[in-house]
Amino acid sequence: MNSAVFNHGRLLLWGGFLALAFALPLVFKSGFLVSLLCQIGIMVVFALSYNMLLGQTGLLSFGHAVYYGIGAFVTMHMLNIIGKDGGPLTTALLPLVGGLAGMLAGVVLGYVTTKKAGTTFAMISLGIGELVAACALMFPGFFGGEGGVSGNRVVGKGNLLGFTWGPQVEMYGLIVLWAFLATVAMFALTQTPLGRMANAVRDNPERAEFVGYDTQRVRYLMLILSGLFAGIAGSLTALNYEIVTSETLNAHTSGVVLLMTFVGGIGFFYGPIIGAILISVMQIVIGGMTHAWLLYFGLFFLFMVLMAPGGIASVIAIQRNLWLAGLFGRMVPHYLAVALPVLILLAGLVGLIEMSYALLAGEGVGAGDTATKVMKMELHLNTPGPWLAALGVTAAGLVLTRWIGGRTRAAWNSALATLHGDKS
Amino acid sequence: MEFVVISLLNGITYGLLLFMLSSGLTLIFSMMGILNFAHASFYMLGAYFAYQISTWVGFWPGLLVAPLLVGAVGAAVERYGLRRAHRFGHVAELLFTFGLAFLVEEVVHLIWGKTSVDYKIPVELDGTLFTLFATDFPIYKGFMMLVSVGMLVALYALLTRTRIGLIIQAALTKPDMVEALGHNVPRIFMLVFGGGTALAGLAGVIGGNAFITEPGMAAAVGSIVFVVVVVGGLGSLGGAFVASLLIGCIQTFSIALTISITDVFALIGVTLPEGSQVARLTITQLAPVLPYLLMVAILIFRPRGLMGARES
Amino acid sequence: MSSPAIRITGLKKNFGASEIIRGVDLDIHRGERHAIIGPNGAGKSTLFHLISARLPVSAGVIELKGENVVGLKPFEINRKGLSRSFQITNIFHNLSVFENLRCAVLWSLGYRYSFWQRLAGLADARLRAEAVMEDIGLAKRRDTPAGILSYAEQRALEIGITIASGADVILLDEPTAGMSRSETDDAVALIRRVTEGKTLVMVEHDMGVVFGLADRISVLVYGQIIATDAPAAIRCNAAVQEAYLGTSLNHD
Repeated sequence: MNSAVFNHGRLLLWGGFLALAFALPLVFKSGFLVSLLCQIGIMVVFALSYNMLLGQTGLLSFGHAVYYGIGAFVTMHMLNIIGKDGGPLTTALLPLVGGLAGMLAGVVLGYVTTKKAGTTFAMISLGIGELVAACALMFPGFFGGEGGVSGNRVVGKGNLLGFTWGPQVEMYGLIVLWAFLATVAMFALTQTPLGRMANAVRDNPERAEFVGYDTQRVRYLMLILSGLFAGIAGSLTALNYEIVTSETLNAHTSGVVLLMTFVGGIGFFYGPIIGAILISVMQIVIGGMTHAWLLYFGLFFLFMVLMAPGGIASVIAIQRNLWLAGLFGRMVPHYLAVALPVLILLAGLVGLIEMSYALLAGEGVGAGDTATKVMKMELHLNTPGPWLAALGVTAAGLVLTRWIGGRTRAAWNSALATLHGDKS
Repeated sequence: MEFVVISLLNGITYGLLLFMLSSGLTLIFSMMGILNFAHASFYMLGAYFAYQISTWVGFWPGLLVAPLLVGAVGAAVERYGLRRAHRFGHVAELLFTFGLAFLVEEVVHLIWGKTSVDYKIPVELDGTLFTLFATDFPIYKGFMMLVSVGMLVALYALLTRTRIGLIIQAALTKPDMVEALGHNVPRIFMLVFGGGTALAGLAGVIGGNAFITEPGMAAAVGSIVFVVVVVGGLGSLGGAFVASLLIGCIQTFSIALTISITDVFALIGVTLPEGSQVARLTITQLAPVLPYLLMVAILIFRPRGLMGARES
Repeated sequence: MSSPAIRITGLKKNFGASEIIRGVDLDIHRGERHAIIGPNGAGKSTLFHLISARLPVSAGVIELKGENVVGLKPFEINRKGLSRSFQITNIFHNLSVFENLRCAVLWSLGYRYSFWQRLAGLADARLRAEAVMEDIGLAKRRDTPAGILSYAEQRALEIGITIASGADVILLDEPTAGMSRSETDDAVALIRRVTEGKTLVMVEHDMGVVFGLADRISVLVYGQIIATDAPAAIRCNAAVQEAYLGTSLNHD
């Protein structure tokens, strides 16, 4: 096992990703898709910085948006200063400024939060997050009050290589560049003494103390570094949207990055990347189709917590292990068999939820579009017909899923048993 | 003087309400090791259930039924959700309750809409209890105090006089011992969770109409309740009580104080430079951050909390 | 003559009203293998927790190589060259055997909180971890997560983590608890090998292990040391016989 950061295989993989990221706008030319790609790039950095705490150090933070938001606000003010007075900095270098701001916030706030670990840390991070969010409304001079702070990213002289960063595609290039640098740096950090001791502190803080490490110091340093990368992400967000509001650093943003990271998988370096991509895409696609998006998101998250606490990355990793052990083939029929009842169950549930939204949320039948497609019928929500049908489909799906799911589970358990049996 | 007495009464009323929330949270945390992130969501559910019931049959049945309903929902959540999440450890439990809070808010949006609902104080309780100096003290505030104190006495009696209470107390100090004594710990957990959430529901029933019943109420109260628990000391009921009253009073006093920071510093003989944004802030404007500042101060100077027994 | 490895004077510890350690005085010489025995509940593990600063001391002085260490944090004491193992296995469960050991050597090699050096480039850390891994017989389990090792393997890893940093005072808390006869024999051989030239203090219930390994034995009863002597003398000490009330101190 070679864990060098830049061995040949890994160099190829990183290079491939970079090339792919740069090539994507050639395929997805529409402005909408480029905007989506920009959003994904930013969220990847944000989620990875979050996982430095949750996955690597075992710190569940409910206030990570603070560092992201502070990076964003500082960047915006710097941008406006450059726009007015000029200065040595250019737009392309501002993420560094945002990162340093996030890091500084980590130095100050982390001193308080990282005194404790575990549940207490979670509560304190929430409190600090609320504190900063409340301050944002108290100091409109810096945080811009309700309207936020806006600016124009096409500023300064001597733009690099003739880029003005004005067009969205150029901005995308800048995001890819910074996201790539940040990702490489964050990965490299996992391969250093501090990165490894963070894992040790996560697994067993007591033991870490008895091999000479001050766990509080390890947590503090990891939080400061995490603040650096969150600040870079926030900075990119400021440049990308050219407006920053107090929404950027409130509890909602902290919650979203937590959900993304967790759904992607906190046990693997690439987990948060998957989560950031998936949730960003789902937010746009499903969020565009239905008003019930947040409800689906919440249900999906609870499902993941209860059924796959390792996130999508761990599901992939297990499939890969099955594949390597030659066991994947025997699971495929089971996966296919269980897919149908699950789809039926989902169809029933979606029908119920969409009809409820159409009926209760009072946002017109627009919310019921999906239900119409799924059910293939006109909806008369004041009659019991559609409701009974949806309930019936849900019930049928539930029964079938339990029945066939039981077999799948048995097959799954036996496959896993074989897998682990082979190992030891 | 008038200002002090009235603010104190208001502060105690609010503090007792906070204690109704923080006591349930503390009991659940001490017994099960779970920080129930969704605790304030049950408070919100209590308010909405009570509102719904009051539109059908009036306030009084809701006072009894809504907390019971909330408790039943809480028990079901423990039985079918938390117990499963428990197998994956504390982080999974915490995340489960976090997801639950998220979901409850969405469901409330769905059923009752995104704006506030018109959950009114019952006419019988609408009026002035007494007039102190020139300020009226409403009957409803007196009623809230009555319910809170009644709850306090009932909780105390339950914990010290009944068998289940003794088991809970034992579990507070020696969690592993209780199981060794052969008690059905999962059942007790379900009861404690159901009971704790029912208390939160009751707080919602009497708090929802005193303040406002809207989808944002859970998030607004939730973080304050966490501050209470940290300030009081994790797992300490006495600490939660003291901290609830303290924060209740801080909140009500600071909202009523219109002097600025400059004035405060002038009182102790320090003159702040003119014109800075901080100096111009009034205590009222600072009100939302004071509980958090208190929390930070406690964490720096007394990390165990006011009455916390254990470092965690 | 240099100061003893550990000198304990007037050590007391109470939990609330109950006094668990009731005035312990004890000198542990440099380079000796010292066992602490005593009936259950005598306070043996508590004594270890006090020496290693896992629990705060109520009264008394603990000197490590002549220096008072009362009030220091566990990691500070560790940095002064005292390392300990635990009665209940205390390892990094999600990390591989190799990573467990590498974590244990990083501080002593001076890498501290470095985030500018690649672990893979630190040859000395790798070599030291590999040497310990060889020593404790887990080389073939190098990349196995510690959490899924067998019990005896985890106990071996526990000892490995304890000695890896090269500390010269080693505290082992019941290193052979829960092991079969043959596993115990292996563990004793391992302990003998890896603590060569170091000061070893151990709490142990298995009298075979105690009398086989220890140069001197202290008997702790109800929070007080009633005897400290060579194994042969301890065996026929009347007070010790009485404390154990008929329990044979011979090989069991």
